Amino acid sequence: MDAKEIAERLSAFIRAEGKFKSVTIENLRRMPGGASREIWSFDATMERDGVATERAMVLRRDPGASRIDTSRRHEFLVMRAAFEEGVPVPEVLWLCEDAAVLGANFFIMQKVDGETIARRLLRDEQYAKAREVMPAQLAEILARIHRIDSEKHKLDFLAKPGENAAETELRRYEDSFRRLALEPHPAFELAFRYLYQRIPKTPRITLVHGDYRIGNVIFGPNGVHAILDWELAHLGDPMEDLGWMCVRAWRFGADHMPVGGLGTREAFFAAYEAASGIKVDREKVRFWEVFGNLRWGIITISQARTYIDGFVPSVELASIGRRTAETELELLNLVERDG
Amino acid sequence: MQDRPTAIELLEAAANFVDREIVPVTEGARQFQSRVVASVMRIVARELKLEELHLRGEIEALCALLGQPKPHLHGRDELYDAAVKLNEELSAKIRAGEVDRGDSRERTLMVVRQAVENKLRIANPRYLESDIAAREKKP
Repeated sequence: MDAKEIAERLSAFIRAEGKFKSVTIENLRRMPGGASREIWSFDATMERDGVATERAMVLRRDPGASRIDTSRRHEFLVMRAAFEEGVPVPEVLWLCEDAAVLGANFFIMQKVDGETIARRLLRDEQYAKAREVMPAQLAEILARIHRIDSEKHKLDFLAKPGENAAETELRRYEDSFRRLALEPHPAFELAFRYLYQRIPKTPRITLVHGDYRIGNVIFGPNGVHAILDWELAHLGDPMEDLGWMCVRAWRFGADHMPVGGLGTREAFFAAYEAASGIKVDREKVRFWEVFGNLRWGIITISQARTYIDGFVPSVELASIGRRTAETELELLNLVERDG
Repeated sequence: MQDRPTAIELLEAAANFVDREIVPVTEGARQFQSRVVASVMRIVARELKLEELHLRGEIEALCALLGQPKPHLHGRDELYDAAVKLNEELSAKIRAGEVDRGDSRERTLMVVRQAVENKLRIANPRYLESDIAAREKKP
């Protein structure tokens, strides 16, 4: 399907959904980011009762997913709940689960202006203030996400993990690792062993974003504009999101600042405690930081597999297979320190 | 035998061309992919230089750790297969909890670290250097 056909079908879809007299789509273009998912931006001019409104929008679809895939709907509903609770997130507008429209499920959301390239945040002069204020902003937003009441927002499609949430997550990623890895990885075995010996109980279960890192933030010179990529949201241990923020790969070399290359763990945890009123259990976050590095390592293997198995002929995905060793080194550093 | 340039020299010529002639005239996603192409060619060049040396060292260290005699191996493929087999044996021991504590844990961590560092000497030497520098700074 080319851009012209997408624009035509999109305009018919929005006209029907919003009961508009006419809808014109302009400036439709594919946005960078994500090898398996597609993000398109466009401007829609919508006319109803003689009044025309114009709005910049984003289309999110995943052509690789199967037709009965429900992840778009889940992401849509979680984002809507977050929006209603005042989390900075693009307003979601319409969901389409009829694959006949665009070949895959998709949803449309408001376009939020700003930058998403984390390396620019860490390096460019114009983001000096953003760098300073973002750790506290991100902690405050995270506290807000963890307060979202999944029952009130009818997010009952999210599985309830019980107090063994950590063990469930660990087993899930171990299964992926055993299925995907093409060669032995003793460093990962050491990390699994370390984690199985330290599984925390999780009496407090909340909504967890699941991919909370600076790469999934739209930001500007004054800091956070919106939090993106909610497809991994689930119910679990809120400390999982804090640990994931500390994973080494999101620091882009700024290792003296463990939280996304922006700040220290202590400042981030203190800001989260102030915003949430909940004490951060350092040892538990430590578990999730080690788990997060291991999880990222397994994701690098899975991304390389999409190239090796012939699904996506991308040199970038192929090269990610050789980044697995970076996470192995970090895991050894973490595991050794805790003797 | 093949004539000069060597495989490594050819790869370096191609990587330099991509870095100097393609990267500056592209932008966005294509520029990023071009950098990845140059970087991948440099990984292959380093691997051609170092792989056999690394495999021999890894096999020797794993045999000593696992208490096995060092095998006589010929050619890259035999070395590679032996390294896979030894790493699988070590992985099974770690999973079984046989190296959780004490001296066996220390020796295992040392051997695994050496192997991971050798992977990075090929895949991303700068990452390894900055990691070593950061660890030396800490008490």
